[in-house]
Amino acid sequence: MALFFKLAPTSGQPLYLQLMQQIRHGAETGALLDGDQLPGIRTLAEELIVSPNTVAKAYSELEHEGLLELRQGSGAFICVKRRTQSLTDRVQASRRKLRDLIDQLREAGLLDEEIHRAFEAELTHPVLAVKKR
Amino acid sequence: MLWYKAWLETRARFLTCFATVVIFCTVFVHHALHVVCAESLSCSAGLWDPARQAEVYRLLFINQQFLVFMWILSVVLLGMGGIVREGAIGTAAPTLALPVSRARLQGVRVGMGVLQAIALAVVPWLSVASVSILAGRPILMRQVASYILLLVAGGMVYFAMSILISSLIPGEYTAPAVAFGIVILAAILFDEYLRGLNVWRLVTGDFSVDHTTYLLSRHLPWLGILASLTCALLMFFASILAVQRREF
Amino acid sequence: MTDEFVIVTQALSKSYGHSEAVRALDLSVGRGRITAFLGRNGAGKSTTIKMLLGMIRPTSGSGTVLGNVINDSKESVALRRRVAYVAEDKPLYGYMTVEQIVRFARSFYADWRIDSEKQLLRDCELPLRRKVKSLSKGMRTKLALLLAFARRPDLIILDEPSEGLDPVATEYLLQSLVARASEGSSVFFSSHQISEVERVADHVCILEKGALLMDASLDSLRESYRRIDLVFPALPAEREFRISGVQRIQTSGRQMSVFASNNADEVIERAHGLSVVSVNVTPIGLRDIFLETVKENERALV
Repeated sequence: MALFFKLAPTSGQPLYLQLMQQIRHGAETGALLDGDQLPGIRTLAEELIVSPNTVAKAYSELEHEGLLELRQGSGAFICVKRRTQSLTDRVQASRRKLRDLIDQLREAGLLDEEIHRAFEAELTHPVLAVKKR
Repeated sequence: MLWYKAWLETRARFLTCFATVVIFCTVFVHHALHVVCAESLSCSAGLWDPARQAEVYRLLFINQQFLVFMWILSVVLLGMGGIVREGAIGTAAPTLALPVSRARLQGVRVGMGVLQAIALAVVPWLSVASVSILAGRPILMRQVASYILLLVAGGMVYFAMSILISSLIPGEYTAPAVAFGIVILAAILFDEYLRGLNVWRLVTGDFSVDHTTYLLSRHLPWLGILASLTCALLMFFASILAVQRREF
Repeated sequence: MTDEFVIVTQALSKSYGHSEAVRALDLSVGRGRITAFLGRNGAGKSTTIKMLLGMIRPTSGSGTVLGNVINDSKESVALRRRVAYVAEDKPLYGYMTVEQIVRFARSFYADWRIDSEKQLLRDCELPLRRKVKSLSKGMRTKLALLLAFARRPDLIILDEPSEGLDPVATEYLLQSLVARASEGSSVFFSSHQISEVERVADHVCILEKGALLMDASLDSLRESYRRIDLVFPALPAEREFRISGVQRIQTSGRQMSVFASNNADEVIERAHGLSVVSVNVTPIGLRDIFLETVKENERALV
């Protein structure tokens, strides 16, 4: 089972976090279902050509969160529990809201780039800054 | 597999020198013996004239002169190479990264060279002895052994000098130039001013041969041989020190 | 605990006459990591590596590799048994055939893996009977790397491994490197190819003029280095933003660009306090981090 992960080394975000996000995203969108097996650390590291420590850390953090189950000798398996399922539903709902908002902003005449920068600026505003996971 | 590497590195040089000395000595003695035969008019085994014995031994003495010349050039050539030269051509890193001490690296190189030097002395002489036997002119093995001993034990210092030079001087052409230069210079200078100490004359048997019978004396110049061997050993150790101290 | 680090140096120095190639280097390379060694040409990277392997004697200071002291010849031999090293320019014995050189290398190491050797020989399509000197440059490079990657050493040291490699060969190199790292080998490599370092390295050390300027995990660099572009109605004084972490400030008209190694949040907070009109935060790639670090060092020396 292989998803198409793509890590961006210059995006300012640790690679393991990017991988975690992409795995979570896979679980949210249904590309990864409960029980699906992710490639082993070495296999994924070789495929993505990243340090195995990156993959190991991502897997271990996701195991902490409950999204992955690491079985000794067998590999990493997705665990989409009901709690995570509701999270997925919430994320899906938020995405719909976002889509509507973006459509509105576009109609207002804003370019995609401007919308993007506005989001970035608001996200990094210290008053609203949420501590990064 | 250090010995294997040392062999691969010196194989071409060694085989060329080996073929040269063996072919030369064999053919030279073989042809010259027949000249002697022709002169004595008594070449068949039964009619061997003991009075002509000296001519045969003179021939062997001359053979040694030639062999010494070729042997010295060969061992000086074989002494070239090694880690310092590898440093000059850029392949020192894989050798130095090996889990072996520099002393061992050098030791194997020296060992291989010594074995080759011995072969370069023993085989031509055995070949000459065979030729003599076949020609009906058997020679005393004691003489053969003496010539071999003189050459290997007395002449090892030339090989040691070559090893030492190649451990001190990195240039691919500079090192052999210096080594051969020393050989020539030593040959001339020693002969001029210190003839008694001239190793070249020692190994050719100049100091030990009877000029009537052309037999090598029973009393070989042991002191000289020992001194020469000691010098050789000292130079080998010096070369190990040189390699150990060098930075790459 | 020495077990935590595969390479440790204390005030390691090397001078040639009056010039210092390496100055009081305190390096520590962690076990189980891929650590990159960045630096300009002549910064002292190769000299450091050679000292670690016993090819050069340090002028002063000390170091250990895998727990073995580097300037003791016996321990140096012991450590080399557990280290795979590929030098710059990947030198090989030209007079040996591929088969001979593989057999030669294999005979020295207990950690050699025959199955890896066969696999790599197949993958690289190396002609066994051909002499090394008649191989193409690409094949020679692959062979040199094979001699290291057919082993499972505790530590792999590579000096400019991707130099002279085409993109396909580079991918293969990085893949092999990652594969060895997954099996427990620690990797320490020097490189000029910053993009490759960014992809595979866990940790980076920057060497400049023989001194260590930076020793940090790549993830921490990614999280903290930020370029903050600000637009003000009226440009405030630069000193408002000279806080810890800010390395460089550039101004032009009503724009200010802040290069921060950390504390980006505080910079933004201050900017908002000074009625900033526009805030644009972008990450800084390793190339720019490297360049800025080196330049800042030069400014500091003046």
